[in-house]
Amino acid sequence: MSISTNSSENRINLNPVGKSVPRIDGKGIVTGQTKYVFDVSFPNMLIGKMIRSPYPHARILKIDTTKAQQLAGVHAIITAKDTYNIKYGSNEYFFPHTVDQMALEAEKVRYIGDEIGAVAAVDEETALKALELIDVEYEQLPFVTDVLEAMKPGAPQIHDAMNNIGVILPVNFGNPQRALKESFHVREDKFYASAAAMAALEPHVCVGQWETFSNKITLWASSQAPFKCREALAKTLKMDLNDVRVIKLAVGGGFGGKLEMLPMDFAACLLSKKAGGLPVKICYNREEEFSFSRRKHAMYYKVKTGVTKEGLLTAMTGEVIADGGAYCSYGPTVMAAAIMRIFMVYKIQHFRINGYRVYTNTPISGAMRGFGGVQSGFAIESHMDLLAKDLGLDPIEFRLKNITTPNMVTVNKMILTTNGLKECIEKASAAADWTNKHGNKNYHKTGNLRRGIGIGIAADVMGSKMYKSHESAGAIVKVEEDGSVYLFTGAADTGQGSNTALSQIAAHALGVKYERIKCKAGDTEITPFDTGSFASRVTFISGNAALRAGQDAKMQILEIIAQEYKVNIADLDLVAEEVRNTKTNTVLMNFDKALELCYSFNYGKQIIGRGSYNPKTTPIDFRTGEGNVSGSYGFEAQIAEVEVNIETGEVRVLKIWDAHDIGKAINPQSVEAQIEGSLAMGIGYTFTEDLRFKNGRVVNPNFANYRVPRSIGTPQMHSILIETNDPEGPFGAKGMGEASLLPTSAAIANAIEDACGVRIKDLPITPAKIIAALATLNDPLSTHSSKEISQ
Amino acid sequence: MTKLTINNKEYSLDLKGHETLLEVLRDHLSLTGTKTACEESECGTCTVNINGKSVLSCITLAADLEGEEVTTIEGLADEDTLHPVQQAFVDYGAVQCGFCIPGMIMSAKALLDKNPNPTQEDIEYALDGNICRCAGYPKIFDAVRKAGECLQNGTANAKVNSEKKEKFKSTMAKGLTYEEFLKLKE
Repeated sequence: MSISTNSSENRINLNPVGKSVPRIDGKGIVTGQTKYVFDVSFPNMLIGKMIRSPYPHARILKIDTTKAQQLAGVHAIITAKDTYNIKYGSNEYFFPHTVDQMALEAEKVRYIGDEIGAVAAVDEETALKALELIDVEYEQLPFVTDVLEAMKPGAPQIHDAMNNIGVILPVNFGNPQRALKESFHVREDKFYASAAAMAALEPHVCVGQWETFSNKITLWASSQAPFKCREALAKTLKMDLNDVRVIKLAVGGGFGGKLEMLPMDFAACLLSKKAGGLPVKICYNREEEFSFSRRKHAMYYKVKTGVTKEGLLTAMTGEVIADGGAYCSYGPTVMAAAIMRIFMVYKIQHFRINGYRVYTNTPISGAMRGFGGVQSGFAIESHMDLLAKDLGLDPIEFRLKNITTPNMVTVNKMILTTNGLKECIEKASAAADWTNKHGNKNYHKTGNLRRGIGIGIAADVMGSKMYKSHESAGAIVKVEEDGSVYLFTGAADTGQGSNTALSQIAAHALGVKYERIKCKAGDTEITPFDTGSFASRVTFISGNAALRAGQDAKMQILEIIAQEYKVNIADLDLVAEEVRNTKTNTVLMNFDKALELCYSFNYGKQIIGRGSYNPKTTPIDFRTGEGNVSGSYGFEAQIAEVEVNIETGEVRVLKIWDAHDIGKAINPQSVEAQIEGSLAMGIGYTFTEDLRFKNGRVVNPNFANYRVPRSIGTPQMHSILIETNDPEGPFGAKGMGEASLLPTSAAIANAIEDACGVRIKDLPITPAKIIAALATLNDPLSTHSSKEISQ
Repeated sequence: MTKLTINNKEYSLDLKGHETLLEVLRDHLSLTGTKTACEESECGTCTVNINGKSVLSCITLAADLEGEEVTTIEGLADEDTLHPVQQAFVDYGAVQCGFCIPGMIMSAKALLDKNPNPTQEDIEYALDGNICRCAGYPKIFDAVRKAGECLQNGTANAKVNSEKKEKFKSTMAKGLTYEEFLKLKE
């Protein structure tokens, strides 16, 4: 059957930027031909398994691998004795003291699952049998899994850190104490945001091979940051960077969990060396994925804010305590983002929030989509609604008085240039019919059902120098004699569609149709350096590199034409496959003819464009929180409409409107898809996603008990794209992909209060919590006043 | 030896007896288009069709499938032309990381084969067993709806085409002018 559903077959996309061109990898994915590391298999490949601690906290006394080594089919076993015992971490540049994890722990284990070794065998069955034959003698130590208990004097010491506080992050500006005293009204709230799992569908998986004679390591990894992974491997294995090659294939989702090297990546390489160079594959199962990869920091967020009579924010103070789990991972920067994001959103001069990231004997908290902003978004945006209510102001009116504006410098020296926050709020509110719905007691009140509407706003960075002094991205555009165009980018497409967006940018910049581009991404030996897919940075930073590479290739072509036809190069342009003389407004030739000339007898000129981009930022002073962390900032307003069943406590999200300042939509369909995916993840986090522990063990390590959103109950999602055309962005684009997740929980919590008068301050929002809160209201059927429950 | 029919191809396999269809597809036959994200029937990623019904291959014993028609994602496209469901997933931007997509498409195909004009509720129910962590479903719903429309039109078009063909044949038998021939060819 040759039917096209959208007649996109054989469509040619000239000037592709701004068009919803089909995904560059679309056909491969829908036919099952796209290869993930999960699908990779090599001849004589061994299967590896990690040796893990069964205890939350224990000293390792002895590891006896003799019996396991004798098992037929076992090729290699490694423990800390086979390593250099070098610690690695994810915030080495700014927070060297938080480098605290060893690929294989030598002396102590700090959570259930902590890696102390690994085995490689001919198949999984044999590897699992070998694990059972390994005798490890432990001395169990007292453990602590509750973050508040862990901070108390006398709590078990997990690392050397005093009171188990791995990171203290003070953010301090102005004189908040005085400003609070002078405020017309002051309000304090406490919130709790739960732990969550990334739950990418492709688990963590890698294949490592150590060519022992040439001393070269190759790791095929399901990674968001191949260059970061390469750096950690080289460091811990004491290899030169250029002796380690990390190859990213298609990645089945990351969401922050695949941003750093895991011990399994290290183990696959070292096992391969010990097995004489045979490739070793290690693949997590779903239980391992939930229990031993990375998770979202649970956070207690206490915040106190002063306002003037008119509703202007005067000062904010507070404290954030985050459950970091056993090691620091990305904890320091997650804390920074959880506290400092507010400066992009609200104008506030007097501020002090101290962040504490605390070790516990639980799985490691790391980077998860939203990077601390989901937790703070829930707290701050719920708090803002409560402040507005205290003052008798409409939540939108209150926010509009206090939001940041275009072309301003925030108190912590962030430079906001284009800023569509006001427009986002106004467009979302108009689309949602806010004025007729909010606070309207009679709006859809039928039987036990109450409808309500709530708003949350947010802003996000596009990039952050997290592990190097620079965060540059590079790109190469290679134009072959046959007219094919290759884009080489170090950026890691993990499913968000960056290969497509970057190809659109490169094609447009070069002046050719999108269909010419072949994209090669994320191979540390072939593609230029790129720090990776995080902080919504790829479209903005890697996009700027692709733009420059495309432009550079174009200039090389135009130079030849200028020389041949003796015209001024400034009068030539290559647009939409045609070389034009812009002075005479005539078409000189098409792209293929231009290439014929470039590769002709006389010229023989290879067209290889290069691009490099490092955003203009200033270093952050992490003792205060000052610094312009990003080259541009994106903004976002979100309105949720919910229906609460006051009999059962069930909440249905009916519709979400999301207005997003994305600078310029390189691919509107992909932008919408990112927004919709964020909303779904936000809804899941609000209601059901709650990674729970008992004595340090994850008790819901499966999709049956850790409930991610499924298709039934998906609300209508309405995206509004605000294009502010950032002068620094490629074709005006900003990054996106995380901001839409930040305000969702608060928008829903605010809508629930609008619907039935109860305020839930601890996530997840469950029917039981709503019923309990409703029970404390005097007359739930008539009142619209709020009753709060605190944890 | 167990005889299995997968994507209209016969395979004779030496099975131990306890292998799941998923293991047979991925490990024995290298048909890695079918993925899995849990291996415990929770995620839907391993969905294939058996006799037109969507089935989880991770909990289906391969040895039980003699005489059944198994279709996997590799068996949908017609040579180089995508199946309308596949094409719709590309066209409507339903694809992100893609790991859930083969299973999602097989569930969608089973639905549309039975009911090419599904309601929103039908689609949500048919796909509820398939987790997508990236896309949040709206674009997937769009794709399934459009694919359904396409399949309906396609069936209609195929019918028109076969009528035209018949007419052409009968006219050719009678003989016709060059102009008439060109007109028919249109």
